[in-house]
Amino acid sequence: MEFEAVVGLEIHVELNCATKLFCDCPNRPGDEPNANTCPTCLWFPGAVPRLSRQALEKAALVCLALDAELQPRSAFDQKVYYYPDQPKGYQLSQAHLPLARGGNIKITGEDGESQRLRIHHVHMEEDVAKLVHEVEGRVPISLVDFNRAGAPLVEIVTQPDFRTPYQAMEFLKALRSQVRYVGASECNMEDGTMRCDANISIRPCGTMQMNTKVEVKNMNSVRHVGDAIAYEMGRQIAAVQTGEAVVLQTRLWDPDKKATLPMRAKFEAPCIPDPSIPAIELSSEWVERMRAGLPEMPAARAERLVQQYELTREEALLLSAEPETVDYFETLVAQGVAPRMGLHWMTTQLLPAVRERQQNLVTSPVTPMRLAALLRLLADDAINAKAAREVLTTLFTSHETPEAIVQAQGFSQISDRTAFDDIIDRVIDEQISAVANYRGGQERALGFLVGQVMQASRGKANPKVVRQRLLEKLDEAR
Amino acid sequence: MVMDPIFFYRNPASAVAEGTLQGLRVAIQPNLAVEGWPTEAGSRALLGYTAPEDATIVRRLRAHGAHLSGSTYMSELGFGLVNSRAGAALQSREADVELVLDFMGEGRLAAAGAGVYGFKPSYGLMSRYGLVGLTPSMECCGVLSADLGGIRAVLQAVAGGDGLDFSVPEEEAPDFAPQVIDPPMISVGVLAEARGGLNDGQNEAFALASAGLAEVGFAVREVSLPEWSLFEVVHRIVGSVEASSATGRYDSVRYGPRAPGAKNWNEMYLLSRGADFDTLLKSYLIQGAFFQFESCEAFQDACRLRARLVGEVQRLLSEVDFLALPTVLDGVASVAGASILLDATYTAFSSTLFANVTGQPVLYMPPGPATEMGAAAGAAGGACGLQLAGPRLSDGSLLALGEYLQSTGRGGE
Repeated sequence: MEFEAVVGLEIHVELNCATKLFCDCPNRPGDEPNANTCPTCLWFPGAVPRLSRQALEKAALVCLALDAELQPRSAFDQKVYYYPDQPKGYQLSQAHLPLARGGNIKITGEDGESQRLRIHHVHMEEDVAKLVHEVEGRVPISLVDFNRAGAPLVEIVTQPDFRTPYQAMEFLKALRSQVRYVGASECNMEDGTMRCDANISIRPCGTMQMNTKVEVKNMNSVRHVGDAIAYEMGRQIAAVQTGEAVVLQTRLWDPDKKATLPMRAKFEAPCIPDPSIPAIELSSEWVERMRAGLPEMPAARAERLVQQYELTREEALLLSAEPETVDYFETLVAQGVAPRMGLHWMTTQLLPAVRERQQNLVTSPVTPMRLAALLRLLADDAINAKAAREVLTTLFTSHETPEAIVQAQGFSQISDRTAFDDIIDRVIDEQISAVANYRGGQERALGFLVGQVMQASRGKANPKVVRQRLLEKLDEAR
Repeated sequence: MVMDPIFFYRNPASAVAEGTLQGLRVAIQPNLAVEGWPTEAGSRALLGYTAPEDATIVRRLRAHGAHLSGSTYMSELGFGLVNSRAGAALQSREADVELVLDFMGEGRLAAAGAGVYGFKPSYGLMSRYGLVGLTPSMECCGVLSADLGGIRAVLQAVAGGDGLDFSVPEEEAPDFAPQVIDPPMISVGVLAEARGGLNDGQNEAFALASAGLAEVGFAVREVSLPEWSLFEVVHRIVGSVEASSATGRYDSVRYGPRAPGAKNWNEMYLLSRGADFDTLLKSYLIQGAFFQFESCEAFQDACRLRARLVGEVQRLLSEVDFLALPTVLDGVASVAGASILLDATYTAFSSTLFANVTGQPVLYMPPGPATEMGAAAGAAGGACGLQLAGPRLSDGSLLALGEYLQSTGRGGE
């Protein structure tokens, strides 16, 4: 019997707000432990939660980016459970009246066809504190860091539309791209600003059964999500085939063992309306104002890149996946760099160099203005490509302008067509066999001769001019 | 050490600010945060907890020049009046105004016990920032005084939003300036069903009080709320669920005694909470946890019923300007006793808890000896004060009504 997976995702996205969700403490979980706390996020007696307007706005932008429908009225509930990571006995979340319902993300499936994966709802909630388990002497101790307690989150709950690990991974990549476009979060699974749990069950292909599901947590990358779903599908299929029941439970992904391991029985905490936080009422005018503030989203931007810069669809999709990348590209073009040249240099030189240095395009010292200045020198034949690559390397460590670096390191090339005639004549005289090969129809021999001239000019000659002049001389001498 | 008969904590300092409350001595309860004061809210679970900052109400009282006399003994987290000394500082003339948590009518029944006025403000009139509470949607600080002018001055000083409690509406706080009362232009509805639990003497006293309202010229007529008995059901379910959630934070980790012998944190929570809370509150919390974990549908029904009751009262208050209801006082003695059961507590507060469900303001008028109510009640061996209730945020008008009645010698000394 053939089986297929039925998978739904629950994705937590930590909003990059200045403050926490219900108090004015800085939203910087990475600071010195417990530096960002107050009576409210420590839930001292008498604390009153106050919903952050910025968090509401950023959460609303996420909903709009995902095509989810913002609800006129939403409200917070208390998810009641006792655990040391939240000191008031409940987590504030939106169980009954979420901020938005519906929504979807389009991906390109493995068959190349466009697929629409549906979102059930999007709700806001607070993050919990971080537990650090250590051993003091021989005594195990647990420390609590409240910096993260009350950090603003949105949770995106999908429909069980996923059948393959590939779909889940593509969905997450597209989700990350769209949320990053609206500037609401960095959405980085490695540092925990995006977290994904997967609810996985299996059923015989062609049926509509909904069988016992298993929740899998602790996937720290998009790749892990795919691996965990693939593993869990295999585990459940093997269980069913040997007559074993699939047990409703929560399992943890172990990236070293590449397996899911049982964590606990699935626990559903009761949710009751919170009496302290007023309901959120959104007017249609407010929603429209937020919608008007949405930037051009990835799909639309890719479409425009194709039209405006004559890029291929694949090139446009690659560029537009990350807002920083496409912003960088369009700044280069606005600075007079030919689109194709800009794309070529970004994808083959800049992005690998930035990655190698563990930087990103926003923080890299190679700003689009500096790279544009360099590429203009190349386009104007003031330097050759080899020199441009060396200048680019220097730009990562030097504050000088590309022009100054070219000057200081003597990278300027000479494009006068007769400037290197002496060298060309000498090379033709000395390289008798290469000249003979060229004349015998071996085009590759011309490249060798150009290289010899370039070497003799110590890189200062413009290879295009050298090539042209060589051709003229070889024709003359024939 | 001799225990203070009234005050849990006496303020050694005197007021420093000038303002509208200068010279006014205000006693609070230890559930209102005052920086540096022990704020144990009558519960062992908060033993040793000292407030790190002032509650908004406290900050405003001080800013207007009031002197905080101290905090008086209170019931555990303000639930009922067991072990409470609310009203005693007024009786002993050690305070001019007392703030008493009103969750099911504690402020009003304490006022009744002390023979003073008791005002339960509208939900959302005052900031709850710094109030160590039990049921955020129902409780508020009641204001008690022998002088309605004192209540007016305090409300004027503390009412309105502070940006720290978003349940206080953004619109301006009600105006507490004196208002002209023209009795024939004001209608008062006497709620028929609220008289259900009265004995003969109380019934007679309340009838006289209602007649007295008509005598001074108000348009008095009987109104009906057939679902009156549901207020108690709704209050019990919603209140206990909110209380169960609100007390989840009392885990003995940061304050409060930690029970010995626990093998892990979960056991520590269970043992400490079991040892720290008294029987009455514990039974209430267990009831709330039952509705949270085992019967959430009943809780949801209660929430729907609550909305219906609020709507019903709004309907009545679109027909009349104010409602008049009796306050049964003879439960006061029993609810202040050392041990009490949950059912008896609810019975004692059955005449007052409606306003905590609806969030509307209520003024309790004591039966003064000069009034018909006082005389009749005394003759019948029971006591019955008058509650006047208005629409939400009509606090200023309600006070003006009370002051008018005070000036005519009705419903107060």
